[in-house]
Amino acid sequence: MEEKHHSKKEAPVTYAEVNDTILKMLEPPGTGWYLLLFTCLFFLAIGASCWFYQMWSGFGESGKSHPIGWGTYITNFVFWVGIAHSGTLISAVLYLFRAAFRQPIYRLAEAMTVFAVMTAGLFPIIHLGRPWYALWLMPYPNQRALWPNFRSPLLWDVFAVSTYFTISATFFIVGLIPDIAAARDQAKTRFRKTLYGVTSLGWRNSHIQWKHYTAAYLIFAAFATPLVVSVHSVVSWDFAMSIVPGWHATIFPPYFVAGAIFSGVAMVITLIIPLRKAFKLERLITPFHFDAMSKLILMTSGVVTYSYITEFYTAWFSNNPYERFQFWFRPFGEFWIAFWGMTFCNCIFPQLLWVKSLRTNIPFLFVLSIFINIGMWLERFNIIFQSLTREFIPAAWGGYNFSWVEVGITVGAFGWFGMWMTLFIKFFPSVAIVEIKEILPPPMRNEGHGHGHAAVGAGH
Amino acid sequence: MVESTSRAVVGVFTYMDDALEAVKNVKAANLDWRMYSPVPRHEIEEVTFPQKSPVRLVSFACALTGCASGWALAILCSLDWPMRTSAKNIASIPAFFVPGYEWTILFGGLGTLFAIFAFCKIPSVVRAAGYDPRFSHDKFGVVVACSAGQVTDVTKRLQTAGADEVDVRDSL
Repeated sequence: MEEKHHSKKEAPVTYAEVNDTILKMLEPPGTGWYLLLFTCLFFLAIGASCWFYQMWSGFGESGKSHPIGWGTYITNFVFWVGIAHSGTLISAVLYLFRAAFRQPIYRLAEAMTVFAVMTAGLFPIIHLGRPWYALWLMPYPNQRALWPNFRSPLLWDVFAVSTYFTISATFFIVGLIPDIAAARDQAKTRFRKTLYGVTSLGWRNSHIQWKHYTAAYLIFAAFATPLVVSVHSVVSWDFAMSIVPGWHATIFPPYFVAGAIFSGVAMVITLIIPLRKAFKLERLITPFHFDAMSKLILMTSGVVTYSYITEFYTAWFSNNPYERFQFWFRPFGEFWIAFWGMTFCNCIFPQLLWVKSLRTNIPFLFVLSIFINIGMWLERFNIIFQSLTREFIPAAWGGYNFSWVEVGITVGAFGWFGMWMTLFIKFFPSVAIVEIKEILPPPMRNEGHGHGHAAVGAGH
Repeated sequence: MVESTSRAVVGVFTYMDDALEAVKNVKAANLDWRMYSPVPRHEIEEVTFPQKSPVRLVSFACALTGCASGWALAILCSLDWPMRTSAKNIASIPAFFVPGYEWTILFGGLGTLFAIFAFCKIPSVVRAAGYDPRFSHDKFGVVVACSAGQVTDVTKRLQTAGADEVDVRDSL
């Protein structure tokens, strides 16, 4: 069902309406919210139990064995870092480019980034088997005067992911401060008044505060933008720096970055559609925004498809028998269904977005976004599992059996992520109040003097 | 800041141009004032605070410190525990680019955060006299600090500019 464009006859969105609509989302939760929260907690409990079982019983429970040293956990790590990516793209990169469609969706995308990095960061620790040794990754003075190997891409990952988490969380929290102040000023209960009073840090919207805040926000965006490029490039080097057939490719950094944005935007759509419906945000999140996100998906799908084709071409052109075999094995080997599933979800299905009416068809976009996320998980599966099962010597080839512990921890990760998202949408403004007001024309006695543009609701 | 004052005259405005007119009026009278608005806008900056914010200098200095620290950490740790890998140098410049790059961003970002705290004077537990919850909703505010004898004049200036209401409180 295609949603009609916002009618120009409707009254323009006002500052007061923006406050009231968004802060209404923070009203005491209903049964549906509790149901969602307990579902997430249930999944989280499954994941936590499996992890404790794995620690108790040994890492063999994870299903990993020669030749698969990196299995589901590293697949999940790359998947969740990828999900995190588009939040920074939407909040920082599109801020610098002054993209009008970002305002109503960026807060949710940023929250998604922070919680997805928190999820991603768990997996290398789970993958250690003995998570209490995670500390050894840090360069700290110790008795044996040992330092980590700074030439290892795994250590680069520690630097990249920890910086990414710190900066994206800071950017996210700084963006929230004026909106929390608005929530504080309209809070009714004692708990909410205390919560927002403390977390708004005494923000007052004075002209001096706004001056320094806007300058700092621009600088944050400038700092966060290179992170979009660097983090997934560094993650891709975990693979590309090795000589495993299917991994040792210079195209990996741009390929991974594009894939991350692709999956991240899809996840934003997956989250924002039910949120828009549940909290009646139709006047703030319009078909214009879905159209813009669809175009972003279409473009990144094209880049990802091009990268897949390039991998095959390079394998053929290199005349390297191991590379050639690997790229024959992927579509026609033991795990062919993963390859073709990935191809359908990431390359073929998104092409329907060339049809304009489908770019604003909300149910279609919801289904597509879920398919894309499945496809992107399969992409990481293909890269990791397929390459490791068929390396150089046939004697070293092997298969892989998923263990229930791995499945449980994977499910638990969705519970962990969902729990934070569910709590966030009920306690803090998940649509940016101030930034939406910024794109509205300001109230002027002498009309025509303000420089605002009504991107929200105008549907252009 | 001007001389010690004892009254805060609070003007509440529906229209941004009226509030800016009031700011121009009180600036002309050389009074101590503050403007509140629910949203940052260039028109407001041009009238209230046209100078550049010093935040960028703090960010730049911290970013440079981070860059130097990232490189130094990687190089000094490697020299302290020399681990030869293939024929690579102990201090491998291309490999150490990543810690240097990441710490440039990390230190720059954290420096920017501290700059916000310092220049915006947050966290603050002091309740600003004259602040009205409507200033985060849909109203603009101009608060003027003055002596008791100037209250009538300031009130008139705010009303002339188009204030919806003017209130007198204890101090700024």
